[in-house]
Amino acid sequence: MRDLKYLTYFENLLQEANNDLITQAKAEGGIAVAYTCENVPEPLLNLGRAFSIRLHAPHTGSIDIATYYMTNLLCEPSRALLERAVEGGFNFADCVITPDGCTMMNRAVENMELLHTMGEGNPNFFHEYMEIAFKDTEADVKLSVLQCTNHILKPLHEHYGIDISDKSIREAVAEHNRMCRAIRAIGEFRKDEHPRITGYEFHVLCLATYVCPTALVIDKLEETLEELKTREPDEKAARARVLVVGSEVDDSGLIKLIEEAGAYVCCDRFCFGSFPGRNEIVLSDEEDALTQVCRHYIHACQCPRMMNMEKVYGRKQYVIDLAKEYRADGVIYEQVKFCDPWAYERMLGSTMMRDDYNMPVLSVDRPYTIDSSAGQMRTRVQAFVESIEIKKIQKGGQA
Amino acid sequence: MKTVEKIVCPTPKAGEQSCSGIYGKGKVRKRREWRGVKDTFYDYTRWLYLLGVIGKFIIKPRNIKGFFRYRWMMNYLFVPHGMDKFTIGLRDEALRMTHIAMNYVIADVTQAIDNCFRGDRRVGNDKAYSDRCVITDENSMTCFMMGFDPKVVPAILREVPTMFAGNIFNQFSVTHYLDVAQEHGLPGDVCPMPEAEAGISIDDDFCVLGCCAVQNNTTCDGSLMGNGIIAKRLEREYGIPTFQLAAPLRHKEDDVLEYAAQNIKDAIAFIEKHTGVAWSWDTYFAAAKRVNDATRKRVAQLEINCTNYPQFVGAVFSLYNDTNYMGNCGRNEEFCRKDKKLLALAERGLAAKHMMAREYRHRCIVWGVQPQYLIDMLYWLVQCWGVVPLTDMLSMVNTDMIAEEDTPENREQAYRDMAMLNMEMIMRNHTHGGYKVLVDELWEICEKMNADMVMMWEHMSCKALTGMHGMFEEQARERGIHIMWVSHDLCDPRVFTRQAIRDQVNLYMRTVMREEPLDPAIEVIDDNEAW
Repeated sequence: MRDLKYLTYFENLLQEANNDLITQAKAEGGIAVAYTCENVPEPLLNLGRAFSIRLHAPHTGSIDIATYYMTNLLCEPSRALLERAVEGGFNFADCVITPDGCTMMNRAVENMELLHTMGEGNPNFFHEYMEIAFKDTEADVKLSVLQCTNHILKPLHEHYGIDISDKSIREAVAEHNRMCRAIRAIGEFRKDEHPRITGYEFHVLCLATYVCPTALVIDKLEETLEELKTREPDEKAARARVLVVGSEVDDSGLIKLIEEAGAYVCCDRFCFGSFPGRNEIVLSDEEDALTQVCRHYIHACQCPRMMNMEKVYGRKQYVIDLAKEYRADGVIYEQVKFCDPWAYERMLGSTMMRDDYNMPVLSVDRPYTIDSSAGQMRTRVQAFVESIEIKKIQKGGQA
Repeated sequence: MKTVEKIVCPTPKAGEQSCSGIYGKGKVRKRREWRGVKDTFYDYTRWLYLLGVIGKFIIKPRNIKGFFRYRWMMNYLFVPHGMDKFTIGLRDEALRMTHIAMNYVIADVTQAIDNCFRGDRRVGNDKAYSDRCVITDENSMTCFMMGFDPKVVPAILREVPTMFAGNIFNQFSVTHYLDVAQEHGLPGDVCPMPEAEAGISIDDDFCVLGCCAVQNNTTCDGSLMGNGIIAKRLEREYGIPTFQLAAPLRHKEDDVLEYAAQNIKDAIAFIEKHTGVAWSWDTYFAAAKRVNDATRKRVAQLEINCTNYPQFVGAVFSLYNDTNYMGNCGRNEEFCRKDKKLLALAERGLAAKHMMAREYRHRCIVWGVQPQYLIDMLYWLVQCWGVVPLTDMLSMVNTDMIAEEDTPENREQAYRDMAMLNMEMIMRNHTHGGYKVLVDELWEICEKMNADMVMMWEHMSCKALTGMHGMFEEQARERGIHIMWVSHDLCDPRVFTRQAIRDQVNLYMRTVMREEPLDPAIEVIDDNEAW
């Protein structure tokens, strides 16, 4: 296929935590609201001149300092973020809002606060920690509304004078939806027999929507969508189509590696992926926008720490529904090493995929950056692709 | 660095001065400890009493059947040996407090097993009984059961005898279940406690009983996530509905309390629906009075431990508090009587200035989560090195009184009180809720109890605790507190053997503190094969 016009542009945005668009937004008077968990309602961080930036640590190398503070037993993403913070890589942030979601990420941010890694010279800088919902009930919606009010809206207003009105929230949601529509429409092309976008390209675009100011990436996304409509796909179909499920994938190299090993990543269901993170938020006029946003996030949430059994079973059903919709031949459950929530979810999910849904599944753990484990991962994926091909042959289909 | 006054016992203790003679290389000890005529007689008769408790249990045919059905029952063959772990070097009041508390904990666990077997579909199969039972998590505050008469609606903490208690008596008790979970695809780097529980469920080795089950998200991400595996089996195979009781993590924040209270209400409604028994406020407030009584007694014990002559310390203090605070939650009157006896003994010991070892060199706060298979190590610590464990993290739980008078206002307050107790379950009240409760509160406790040392259990799979490793180091240095790191893997002795754990203390005391042991003969104990 011909290269996408803006692929290099988007790739470059992922090379630095403090990318060009953040610099631009800050220069225009924007307030950078850093966050670390998909469960934080993103539009609420994009009110007025505030813009959300999901923290990530591209090209992570040594994480020795973070390992001193958090030991080598915590997940690499949490240590990579702390290391980057200590190095000054997140100095652009005007505040950090963190839910007490997974313990390790919470500890990473607490260490950032105690080490005063950010906010130097900014008297308005603040850290906020919030509780997030455990279940999908109205009590959880009420909790979420209260938490968002106390730990997002009020601090943003008090520290930076951000407009937190209902109107402002609705405007942020409208912008968020515009971005979601673009990314979802781009992702739809992955359903084709001969897709006109690779899983790697999609991942680059999707990740950029989290780590760049939303308002500044929409135009390029929409242009890319138009470009894709006329892009000529490769004639050769992939040997196997896979759905990737699990911990956050900040290193697009992982998706590239999977595709180089013969699989096509036709769908993503990992933290900060497009499912469910890029679902549109439908607002009505009958209820305040804040409550509706919170309800949307809780209802759509596929985080493994949601503990009611409807959610536990629902997460597997969600994966299998996506697999059917995107015509996946198999599912790759991946987990960043030492991530407790995904460790359990990977085990239960992969077992249920096999036993309850008869879906081929590869269950792997991996480091934060794939370079240190590329050989192992490639071998696992290659073997998985071959096993899918063999199954197809046994079923009488063509490999 | 901070120093404390060295306290020397003016008289040698009765009986033998070193415990070294009782250890051998085998599964059990070579002999009992000689404590002088009076204390040896007391110790031996209490040991016989314990045999009686176990004998009464095993004589029931259904319990014999259960013994052969469940792999984990093997661990309870080692209880008579296990009890002796907690009494090394102890005399006088300390010995009596240990026996009173620990024997009662053992009797309580024995009763729990008896209850499990009575209702278990594979063993006793008493359906009428089972249909009234509610399964609760091992790491669960049973406060949401306080308004149900325990004789009418028993709470079945089936994970306590299956996993938690068994590992105290047999260090290898859960290795099989860990292997099962890992063969099933669970990584080996998660906390072995919920992992073992998941393994037991996968191995189908839990008793199956109850009309419903209540799970919660205490203590950690692993504990929360393990619930799904267990609940799937309960619901889909055995038709036992489960309720997930959410306890917010930021438990010091006011803005989570209403949510936590609503969850308590929902849990109670769920239990009422499945048991057909209505919540009783009379029962609740009677239990609330006992909760407050237990709190007052625990605080009084801690006050005694602030003096130069701490009395009720170590693993038994912790295990007794855990059982009373969490598993009992005021539902059993007998704990009040035990509390009273224990406090009277502690006051007597304080008045007489009785000591557990011939010298107290350091006053130590034990922080973090203890290795379950070497939970008795704190007695070794005081005997071998003269380091007195004043209290431990698990015992530092709620000290506030809850509403105990039945008024309309207090009925609403009661939900908030139960929510607070649920959120402040042992361990998670420090490991979750932000660094203030984990790090800052430790230094406050050090100050209040005049401690010069912290023994930091570094349970290597406890991400909440190890995530603050560097902060503990730096802040201890700033405050002049000695911090002694002792790593372990909670209930898997294959990762750290018992001696490997003790060696970390030995190394610290010799190289950093430059001290010689009080009793060099027990610096190395060959108990790697012992139960």
